[in-house]
Amino acid sequence: MNQWRKIEAPAVIIGGGIVGGAVAYYLARRGIRSVLLEKRIIGAEASGRNGGGVRAQCRNKLERGLAMASIKLWEGLEAELGFDIEYTQGGNIRMATTEERMAQLRTEAEAELADGLQVEVWDREELRRRAPYLSEMFIGAKYCPTDGVANPLLVPWAFVQAARRLGVTVMTHTEAVAIELHQGQIQAVLARQGRQELRIETPLLINAGGPWASQLSQAIGVSLPVEPARTFIGVTQPVRPFFTEFVSSHDLRLYCRPAQKGHVHIGAVGFRPQTFDQTVPADAISHLFRGAVMIPSLHPIHLLRSWAGTLAMTPDGLPVIGPVDGVEGYLLATGFSGHGFCLGPIVGQLLTEWIVEGEPSIPLDELSLARFG
Amino acid sequence: MRSEIVVVGAGPAGLQAALSAAEAGAEVTLVDNYRQAGGQYYRQPAPEFGDIEPLDHQAEGRRLWQQAAQAGLKLLTETTVWGAFEGHQLALDGPNGPDTLQAQALILATGTYERVAAFPGWTLPGVMTTGAAQTLLKEQRIVPGERVVVAGTGPLQLVTAAALVRAGVRVVAVIEGSPVMRRMWRRPFRHMAALWNQGERLAEGLSSWLTLKRAAVPIHIGWGVTTAHGPEQLTAVTIAQLNDRWRPLPYTSRTLSCDTLCYGYGFTPATELARLLGAELHWRPEQGGFVPIRDERMQSSVPGLFIVGDGAGVGGAGLARLEGRVAGLSAAAQVMGKAVDAALPSLAAEQRFQRFYGDLFTPGPGLDELARPDTIICRCEEVTLADIRAVIEQGADTLMAVKQLTRCGMGNCQGRICGPLAAAQLARQTDQAPAQIGQFSVRPPIFPLPMPTAEAVDLADLPTIPDEHR
Repeated sequence: MNQWRKIEAPAVIIGGGIVGGAVAYYLARRGIRSVLLEKRIIGAEASGRNGGGVRAQCRNKLERGLAMASIKLWEGLEAELGFDIEYTQGGNIRMATTEERMAQLRTEAEAELADGLQVEVWDREELRRRAPYLSEMFIGAKYCPTDGVANPLLVPWAFVQAARRLGVTVMTHTEAVAIELHQGQIQAVLARQGRQELRIETPLLINAGGPWASQLSQAIGVSLPVEPARTFIGVTQPVRPFFTEFVSSHDLRLYCRPAQKGHVHIGAVGFRPQTFDQTVPADAISHLFRGAVMIPSLHPIHLLRSWAGTLAMTPDGLPVIGPVDGVEGYLLATGFSGHGFCLGPIVGQLLTEWIVEGEPSIPLDELSLARFG
Repeated sequence: MRSEIVVVGAGPAGLQAALSAAEAGAEVTLVDNYRQAGGQYYRQPAPEFGDIEPLDHQAEGRRLWQQAAQAGLKLLTETTVWGAFEGHQLALDGPNGPDTLQAQALILATGTYERVAAFPGWTLPGVMTTGAAQTLLKEQRIVPGERVVVAGTGPLQLVTAAALVRAGVRVVAVIEGSPVMRRMWRRPFRHMAALWNQGERLAEGLSSWLTLKRAAVPIHIGWGVTTAHGPEQLTAVTIAQLNDRWRPLPYTSRTLSCDTLCYGYGFTPATELARLLGAELHWRPEQGGFVPIRDERMQSSVPGLFIVGDGAGVGGAGLARLEGRVAGLSAAAQVMGKAVDAALPSLAAEQRFQRFYGDLFTPGPGLDELARPDTIICRCEEVTLADIRAVIEQGADTLMAVKQLTRCGMGNCQGRICGPLAAAQLARQTDQAPAQIGQFSVRPPIFPLPMPTAEAVDLADLPTIPDEHR
């Protein structure tokens, strides 16, 4: 064991994505200067590869509350982090092509309004009037004006840079390889940085490593129900901006959203399960062509790039957040199932409250690992 | 569509590969981006000119194409290969819209991109690559300007300058960066051996030289352009003598008045399709950067994927044709399930020339030091050297991080022009080897691809997603 370089830290965070970055930042604001381990670079995986949507509408009830609280944080994030993360509240439109879907949206709107989320249900005429760029195939929609987008490439970086300024040690190209327990209590994390090996003694470990950190957890007997899955996004050449909303349709299995410089992002709704593969197959591009069905004026704008990302899917599509029964000092924030970008800031804050105050200000019991039995 | 053998790129390597494979009896489809076969080297005059006197290598290219056509191959022109997928499947976009092409064996002959240098003023109107000037001249018979400086490194500069003189342009000066004679003397015997039997090339060089001498064009060897000047349009360039590391020597700079600068610092192999198919590359700066690893049959690490010509390592048209022949015959034998029945040519002489070319014309590190903080590195996204330096100082230590944080490489050229420039800056500032830094990742579409009309999109075959997925 002598060759391991030894460090001590009050907390170790695995994963340099938005969740890991946010936890590191909010902990540091409360005086806990953690060590953050990232196997590649900041925002290399899902946090930097997603569609950038920051939305509260069309969510599970529990996640809706979290998203609404997160959006309050998002609204102040640029000023707080001192970084232009291209956050705008341009609105979110979820469209319907069938009466059945329309009925679903109406029911959802009632629940959302009851929870204090301002949404509007639009019929065909209202949709034409408010979003004339959308295809006439849509018979109506639900709209949430406070939802928006941010640039996923910049947000994890902004959190991590701010955390660094507060004294967090950020180690990129550093992979956590093992967790040491002593009498059911977290004792140390072993990590590898190139040829250098590290032993970080810590009483507290936060696993925000997405589907990559499952094995690590398995080795200490904590099995995580998190599976990798692949999804796709493409981006067009920049055009004069002609819409501000994040628009999506589950009938088309697609969303489109404008980026700050006039590019349009086109993303697949859905995924290929159980793979870490990040290549973009031919049929993924055909799928992205549906952008021209959703927004006909995207023809003949050129598709410029595409990429794939790896989602961390759980069986119920909801994240696993909180402590683990039987392992003292081990907190999970993983399995976000494609929703981690919007939720990242609030989860960072709630975990910080959990660590510092012993309890989060929004109860998260329903998201614990224990729900899977 | 299907074809036993598909060749991508109809330049010297691709034309020869397609011809050899077709002559060996295989069914061959040759795909090319442009209206006419020929690639850059054999680039043909626009058909609208009709029966016009051919320039340089145009006649040779036409003969090669006619031979290939007689051998019975199918040519798809104006067809972009925008993706390559497992199992030798190509995605096309051509005059009839998108299509796919399934090959049993695939020969990539995709050529290169020109390597630029980012010196102050390099994005001014009036500054262009030597290859751009060649295209204007060969295809459109247009001269790029009235008073032209030709700079950079390699024989193309000399040949282009001479062609411009013959087209009636006033060439102000030819600037060759490499201290050619000093480099020759480093390995005199090896270099003399490399020139053995290269009569045609030497004749072309000599003839260019004589054309320039007769027109009293000054040729500065071991010099380079350090700045391009002009308020909105190029008006002058500053040149300086370079040391062995290509760094400008103090007190040697001079300014030349001109309206056009044509320049090029070699070529970067276009390996996008090879990389999409998973071929392994290695770093060979003297051949242009990252090049595919191949066996003696020109087969890459992916079975049935052959890669030939400058796109597999810059070596010139002679080597490209020989490699094309080897790959064409080998691929034909592979798909027909028999041994190669013709003798494979020896590449030794052309490979000696390739090494000679690499020894003489590979730029030194000084070229990457010309940019000032406000000099643009990525012209599509207008990212400056200062922007790149800032994120590196904050901890960005990979090309991916630089791209994510500055947008360098996210524009229309998809990182082809700025990629090597950004990689060089990152290597310098983080003390990493270029081989370690690598390249921007590659994903389809490798060329900007027009979105189809709504009517053309097939909505059947929706993927299975649980509806509760939100």
